[in-house]
Amino acid sequence: MAARTDTRILLRKLGTIYSIPRRNRMKAKWATSQPKFPSTSLALQNFDMVYGTQLGDLWPSVRVSMLSEQKYGALINNFSEAAEVMEELQLQGALDFVYNGMVKSRFKPARPHNSGTLGYYLMDAASLLPVLALDVQEGHTVLDLCAAPGGKTLALLQTQAIGHLAVNDFSASRTSRLRRVLQSYVPREYWSEDTVQITSCDGRKFGELERDTFDRVLVDVPCTTDRHSLLEEDNNIFKKTRMKERQKLPLLQAQLLVAGLEAARPGGEVVYSTCTLSQLQNEYVVEQALHVAQEAGITAHVQDLRAFARLFAATFHFAPNPRLGELVLPHLTANFGPIYFCKLRRTS
Amino acid sequence: MAAGISGKLVLLWTFRGARAHLCCGRNPFYLTLHDKQQTVSLYRSLCSRHDQNLEPTAVREEMVGSLVNMGFTEPQVEQLTKGALSSRTDRAVNQHLSTVSALVALGFNPSSVLKILDKCPELYRVKGVLLQQRVDNLRKLGLMEGSLQRVISHYPQLLTLPLKRVNGVSRFLREKCLLTVQQVTDILRDSPSVVLEDTGRLEHRVQYAYFRMGIQQAEMVRSGLFRVSLEEVRCRHSFLERRGLYQTPDKKGYTSIVNPKLKDFLTVPEDTFLRKVALATREEFEVFRKLMEREMQGEEEPESSNSEEEDEDGYESEDRRRMSYRRRKK
Repeated sequence: MAARTDTRILLRKLGTIYSIPRRNRMKAKWATSQPKFPSTSLALQNFDMVYGTQLGDLWPSVRVSMLSEQKYGALINNFSEAAEVMEELQLQGALDFVYNGMVKSRFKPARPHNSGTLGYYLMDAASLLPVLALDVQEGHTVLDLCAAPGGKTLALLQTQAIGHLAVNDFSASRTSRLRRVLQSYVPREYWSEDTVQITSCDGRKFGELERDTFDRVLVDVPCTTDRHSLLEEDNNIFKKTRMKERQKLPLLQAQLLVAGLEAARPGGEVVYSTCTLSQLQNEYVVEQALHVAQEAGITAHVQDLRAFARLFAATFHFAPNPRLGELVLPHLTANFGPIYFCKLRRTS
Repeated sequence: MAAGISGKLVLLWTFRGARAHLCCGRNPFYLTLHDKQQTVSLYRSLCSRHDQNLEPTAVREEMVGSLVNMGFTEPQVEQLTKGALSSRTDRAVNQHLSTVSALVALGFNPSSVLKILDKCPELYRVKGVLLQQRVDNLRKLGLMEGSLQRVISHYPQLLTLPLKRVNGVSRFLREKCLLTVQQVTDILRDSPSVVLEDTGRLEHRVQYAYFRMGIQQAEMVRSGLFRVSLEEVRCRHSFLERRGLYQTPDKKGYTSIVNPKLKDFLTVPEDTFLRKVALATREEFEVFRKLMEREMQGEEEPESSNSEEEDEDGYESEDRRRMSYRRRKK
């Protein structure tokens, strides 16, 4: 009965529309005349609202740093003439902050060395921290769940200790970029098909595909890359057309982390990392994922990284009193980040 | 209206005349025997001390005499004549005297005359007629008695510049930066150093304040924008803007936060700026300043390499259109 009245109302409505002569009907507004807001300013507005309350007094400093020029680190490629490159960079005023080759200053793009491999890889120095926190040991099998464009993967390979490395990224084009990066930095003999395996499938399915296999899993999830969103218009996640995608990010991140936990063997370690300040994509995702994993019969515990953070406190500006994991805040005097990372240990 | 102005002018001239009369006229009347004796003794001592080779000429004698007449004391005369008496020609001595007397005629007392000449010794070389012309020109630009004296005592270099330069800058400010006559006068009074600045940079600064910071001309003059360099303005403004403490008003003049007053952050010392307005540490601002320098260099380079970009052109012409639109509205 109810359905029938609904259709009747609908029909009547349709009737009223079609009874208006075409010449008197209102024309819909053209999309071109609607005000256009650049995605970067939308992002800034969003951040002002969210981080303004989250970070309080720290926010102005973080904001000015994110809008200013970023500081770079150069990851020395151990597969080329590392010592030579180090010397060259130190002449430019670069500073070594990890024993095994990271330097910072303003660098030129790397040029190919005589051996055909590039001397160093430019990346945000703070994005090395998740890799260092992963603590890869000799002979480990490692999974990099969302690997492209390859900076962290390259850093993983620099340890030269990995038994087997599985590299995955959802997008095929990004995987090919990753492959190019590896080709230009790592000599062919170091990454044959059985040591480095590059796949391009949905990371969320990894839990089912390869359950309980990896000693170490790096889950560097897609996020609202804060610095990029503020400065670059193209591929900006704050575009109006990508609203849905943005809203679903925390869900996707949690699913990826659960998949990562599933792929780790009991006793294995998982590092979750993002490059955003948002709590919604950091702490809450970790909590949510732990909760979901518990229901699936996997228990994992958050590892304390405070000692690790103290080790690098001279170079990076860590957020005071984080609830879970560690957060590197950009600061004008140390303009790296933002990077969030949290280490989990699977117990069963 | 015209009658009123001309009436004012007549009044002004009368006053000026009276003042000049007073200055020059006071001394002959009150010149006592004692003064005369002092003149002679002073002159003798000066000549004997300074240069035995130089024959005391009538001109030099006259100079010391008239300086004392103008009310200079002995040490002051000594200081003034130190340069003049050592110069070889009588013309130079005359030149000195005319400069000093022109300054005295403007109403400066002896000690401030000395201070002005100390600050800007080039004034000695300016001819008396030219000096008078330049002073008259400044009056024409709206600097009344009082403010005229203040400007000259603060920035005597203004009198060494040719008329063309001063008038050119004043016209430039009126036509290109759309300031009113009164505002130009205020700028000349409060920050006379603008006349030495490159007009291109001046325009750039005004346009930056107008378009980027959304400040009207009246506010610019009041806040002392013309006393601060473009780099400093840009640095402080961008720092505040990127910290989220300053917003460019929209076309109706609205902002979603309350902007700090321009005069509270432009002309104050850096410490006060950081403590009260920006709420940041000194290290941060220093790093930021360096980054800004780098950014500005980066901006200049691509411009010079391909200056015939269409985007740039469009932007420029839009600016001009907006400016001309404003002019029509007035």
